[in-house]
Amino acid sequence: MEVKEFINTSLIKMNLESSKKNEVIKELINIVADNDLITDSEEVYKKALDREAKGTTGVGKGVAIPHVKSSAVKKPTVAFGRSKDGIDYGSMDEKPTYLFFLIVVPEESHDQHLKLLAQLSRKLVHDDFRESLMEAKSPEDILDILENN
Amino acid sequence: MKKIVATTSCPTGIAHTYMAAESLIEAAKKMDNVEIKVETQGSVGVENELSEKDISEADAVIIAADTNVEMDRFSGKYVVNVSVGDAIDDAESLIKRALKGAEENKDKKIEEDNSDLYNKVSEEKSKRKTERRGAYKHLMTGVSFMLPFVVAGGLSIALSFVFGINAAEQEGTLAAALMQIGGGTAFALMVPILAGYIAYSIADRPGIAPGMIGGMLANSLGSGFLGGIIAGFMAGYLTQWLKNVIKLPKSLQGLMPVLVLPLLSSLTVGLLMIYLIGPPVEAIMTGLEGWLQGMSGSNAVILGLILGAMMAFDMGGPVNKAAYTFGVGLLGSQIYEPMAAIMAAGMTPPLGLALATLLFKKRFTQQEIEAGKAAWVMGISFITEGAIPFAAADPLRVIPSIMTGSAVTGALSMLFGASLKAPHGGIFVLPIPNVVTNLGFYVLAIAAGVIITAIMLRLLKPQLVD
Repeated sequence: MEVKEFINTSLIKMNLESSKKNEVIKELINIVADNDLITDSEEVYKKALDREAKGTTGVGKGVAIPHVKSSAVKKPTVAFGRSKDGIDYGSMDEKPTYLFFLIVVPEESHDQHLKLLAQLSRKLVHDDFRESLMEAKSPEDILDILENN
Repeated sequence: MKKIVATTSCPTGIAHTYMAAESLIEAAKKMDNVEIKVETQGSVGVENELSEKDISEADAVIIAADTNVEMDRFSGKYVVNVSVGDAIDDAESLIKRALKGAEENKDKKIEEDNSDLYNKVSEEKSKRKTERRGAYKHLMTGVSFMLPFVVAGGLSIALSFVFGINAAEQEGTLAAALMQIGGGTAFALMVPILAGYIAYSIADRPGIAPGMIGGMLANSLGSGFLGGIIAGFMAGYLTQWLKNVIKLPKSLQGLMPVLVLPLLSSLTVGLLMIYLIGPPVEAIMTGLEGWLQGMSGSNAVILGLILGAMMAFDMGGPVNKAAYTFGVGLLGSQIYEPMAAIMAAGMTPPLGLALATLLFKKRFTQQEIEAGKAAWVMGISFITEGAIPFAAADPLRVIPSIMTGSAVTGALSMLFGASLKAPHGGIFVLPIPNVVTNLGFYVLAIAAGVIITAIMLRLLKPQLVD
């Protein structure tokens, strides 16, 4: 099981267009939908907002990890987006958010996938990991960082 | 080197759980004198689970969770309980807070450390014995909190008898004070505490208020400890359910624990107790009293058998009260035999249990074995409540056992024609001339019931596994 199983260069957007929280979530969901990995993007969007209502996934340190568990998801997938200017995501530390990981998993997921996502979440805590994501020049760089850190 | 154990958990269990765990580990690495072990309760289940050893060695506990985390296993430790986000946000100050808190509460911990190895081993053993699953665990929690009240109350009442069986009726005397402490107060708290801590075990702190209120109502409605058990479970599961279904906007969330949960749960439990439990209890009691009146002329031995079984059935509940009031009522008509049977049958449950804990140690928890010693005193004083902790912990096996013993005692007492002119007092009335007739056979009837109770317990109760 490798990182490549749920992310590839077409799921990485180096410069997000949106400037508002809900728009970012929508934009990331559209990326996943364009890759034909979800069956109902409205449903996924609704679930993502439900999750945000329970408590923001803007975990601070410039990172947000909106996530959805839904039967509308075909396979566990991560979409990555970056905003150069930062977005007000209602983050826990009330600072702008730059790095976004949208995580979508089917209702029934293998432990293997979930463990990999858990590993990714753990990495996000490390300063140098986040810094290298900020400095990456291309989707290939991002993929490389995710794989090799 | 300080040791901290932590557990992290979030609603979806995909990301926050692990970020919080990693943040704590990272923060601990940066502080050079802290060692940390973090358990994650995420979508994959529990990983890196904390062992009993981990917890016992830890100086402090951090719980970073937005879900309900089992708290019981951390008892006796200094616990910092925060939202999962707080651990991601600033793990370092969280660890510092935990260590500082643990330091300030050190006195308590030192006491534990000084206890010798033997104590620790037996403590561990009794903990294992009492560790049961699900509903049993909740029941055991309630019983273990209730037990000190039963012991303190029962022994205070027994002490008051030392001054003479009617001494407590004189206001202002020490005997009256002892009766007020034991009967009026400790025993009045017994069922509320049982119900409150059953609910606490299920729903954590918010369960206590509805549980205790329900238990108090069980008392005042005359439904005894069985009503209290019902109240406790009702309050616990209801509160737990309310916690899960009521979703308030963030700005109002502070109202949940202080206003919404206590009010809704207490009202619901209270109303259910009053309207659903109250009427049947009253009906049972009046029904049984009428039935017993009709039995007055029939076979004495059968009457003794029935009265005996009734005394042991719910110990203070409607069935017990119906039998007791029946006996006291007959005193007024100068019929003294049923009262003798009733008192004897009320003495055997605690005595039989005390004997069983002495003989069959493998079938009782350490706590029960200790409680057995106090049960001797309560038994000889006709304080049937001494058997309640045992019955509440394992009703389906203990109640039939004590009923059998009490029924035999009641029947024998009637068969021997023993009579009793005082409605209470236990062993303290026996030496008083003319109160009891046929004393030798009366004691024999009690002894027989005690032994039969113990044998029944031996047969019905399984051995506990270590």
